[in-house]
Amino acid sequence: MRDGKELVLHVCHLYPDLLNLYGDRGNVLAFIKRCQWRNINVCLHRVELGQSVDFKQFDFLFIGGGSDREQHILAQDLAKKVSSLAAALEEGLVTLAICGGYQLLGKYYQTAQGEKIPGLGIMDIYTVAGEERLIGNVLLECLVDGVPGQLVGFENHAGRTFLGEGVQPLGRVSEGYGNNGQDGYEGAVWRNVYCSYLHGPLLPKNYKLTDHLISLALARRGVNLELTPLDNSLEEAAVQVMVQRLLKK
Amino acid sequence: MFGRMRFYLALWLALLAMWASRILGRGSGSALPGKLALAIDPAILKRLARGVKRIIVVTGTNGKTTTNNMLVSILRAGGYTVVANLAGANLITGVTTAFLAAAGWRGCLQADYASLEVDEASLPGVLEFLSPRLVVVTNFFRDQLDRYGELDKTVAIVAEALQKQKQEIHLILNADDPLVAQLSIRTGRPAMFYGLTNVAVNSCSYSGADSREGRFCPFCGQVLSYSYYNYSQLGSYSCLQCGFSRPEPDVEGVQVCRARGCLSCQVTVKQGRSVMLSLPLEGIYNIYNALAACSAGLYLGLPAQVMANALAHYQTATGRLERFTYHDKQVLLNLVKNPAGFNAALQLIANVEPVPLDILIAINDNAADGRDISWLWDVDFEMLSQFAGKTGKFVCTGQRGAEMALRLKYAGMAAEQIVYIPDYEQAVKTVLQAQGRGVYMLATYTALWPVERVVNSYARRERAGSARLSPVS
Repeated sequence: MRDGKELVLHVCHLYPDLLNLYGDRGNVLAFIKRCQWRNINVCLHRVELGQSVDFKQFDFLFIGGGSDREQHILAQDLAKKVSSLAAALEEGLVTLAICGGYQLLGKYYQTAQGEKIPGLGIMDIYTVAGEERLIGNVLLECLVDGVPGQLVGFENHAGRTFLGEGVQPLGRVSEGYGNNGQDGYEGAVWRNVYCSYLHGPLLPKNYKLTDHLISLALARRGVNLELTPLDNSLEEAAVQVMVQRLLKK
Repeated sequence: MFGRMRFYLALWLALLAMWASRILGRGSGSALPGKLALAIDPAILKRLARGVKRIIVVTGTNGKTTTNNMLVSILRAGGYTVVANLAGANLITGVTTAFLAAAGWRGCLQADYASLEVDEASLPGVLEFLSPRLVVVTNFFRDQLDRYGELDKTVAIVAEALQKQKQEIHLILNADDPLVAQLSIRTGRPAMFYGLTNVAVNSCSYSGADSREGRFCPFCGQVLSYSYYNYSQLGSYSCLQCGFSRPEPDVEGVQVCRARGCLSCQVTVKQGRSVMLSLPLEGIYNIYNALAACSAGLYLGLPAQVMANALAHYQTATGRLERFTYHDKQVLLNLVKNPAGFNAALQLIANVEPVPLDILIAINDNAADGRDISWLWDVDFEMLSQFAGKTGKFVCTGQRGAEMALRLKYAGMAAEQIVYIPDYEQAVKTVLQAQGRGVYMLATYTALWPVERVVNSYARRERAGSARLSPVS
């Protein structure tokens, strides 16, 4: 893979110190490792509070979840970054946003008291706090790169998210609650932005999605590279344990 | 009259259940009897607790079981009678079972102390039934988020429960953990603080940077400034914005040193007294546990030397670095349940001799383990690359053994090193018979018992006294 070696993919982990619930860094790890195993060089950028960045320079952006306190701390800082972020996402930056990061990209989060906390407003989605937290293992039917497949993970969220026009769900839940526990959908896809409530974390087990994100990032760079096949037996085993258990129910 | 009948009905049925589960060998049977008794007579715990002069509660994320066991050893060495839930059943049902067992068939309970380990989320419920005068808080780490939501919520539950009580409560707090130390200010309760000076363990010391919790001031949100870390967020910190900082410890461990499977340190008390502490244990976190237990002991007026003697012969509870021997190999078994504890357990590999060690990791996701295993991705398995040559095979087992194997793969371990064997019996046999010179087993709560059962059938258990002769350095 001669082309791969000269290439460097720039990965951005946004607020790794603040948005790091539920093993979120596993998603970044999976993206990086699966590039490196194919001799695609990766450079990781950890963007913290107070750092000014141009998001367009990145090839893959990861936004994780944080506690309410932590999300409150970063709100002000994020306001300064929002125009650069919105421009990059609009233009096609490949992004994975989980839980709190997912909600943050939307129009607002309505608290249990009815207060509407504005989001970044980049995607046409909104979230309303529910009384019960939606917690448990999830099995999801979806199309990854046009091919039907399954994703597994764990969800734990109080927010109920609803999608507007132009935003597609990531998939349909066959086990678990998903976006809001009502319409049967989970996650959101808009341009190259993938959002989900599945942490667990999502990418290491669900390697087909990871590889799809890598392909998208390469394509955005104008590199059309057939990804070298890897040995995925442990990934398959980890997924099958959960699929078998959930189907048995 | 009717109340009395209900009391005895509850007591006897519960004791019958306890006896039956022992006969049938169904685990330690430590939650069920309490559950049964409370269902029949909700007032039973309150009534039994009347026979105890003083109640102590130990809570926090890690080290509850060890701290409480140490405290109980200390109190018993001081000549006191103590009711305790030593096996770690720390919900209200487990606490009730401890009282039932101590009461016996006649239902009369007389004891000097009850020393109880209590789960953080169960603290409000337990405080409602019991009125402890002393509460020890060890530390707060990320643990079982599916049950508690978020760590902030756990801290808030504990703080609110401590604040709400009408009776006087004295706190014993870890000065080195900002999330714990803040409790004195937040609840307005008087506190005694314990802490540890900069340990700077050894060249392999790991900072646990990715799973630190208390990086932000609990009062103003500013990033805390640290002069040193001992492990995770435990260390010496101060907030440059509002002035919140590590309280001066009343009881402080200094000059930590480790030799031949023992840890020792000098413990200085604020008034200038000082005692040498020696523990037949590994792991810096055990120094913290001992300091917590000693602080409680000092507060209760026990002589320092009595405590030091009791701890020198401390016998570990199940899965807290239990030692076995298989042929010539030393086998260590340790409980893991969250990133901070797992990191500390992994760090131990740096100091165990002889090597290489074959390692078994058993991961379950039952309610008691935490149904969400995403925390495995917050554990710093990447540190294992520093121990290349010290580790042999990694055998992964348990309900989520496959995910564990995957975690190791993404931590950069070679594929040949990783083996996934779902069956406990096969997995334990494989790791015992591997090529290495020692075995280290790590298991989550509900995986611990089945693993221990298999280990017991192949290997010989080491007793506390002999621990010091073993070749751990």
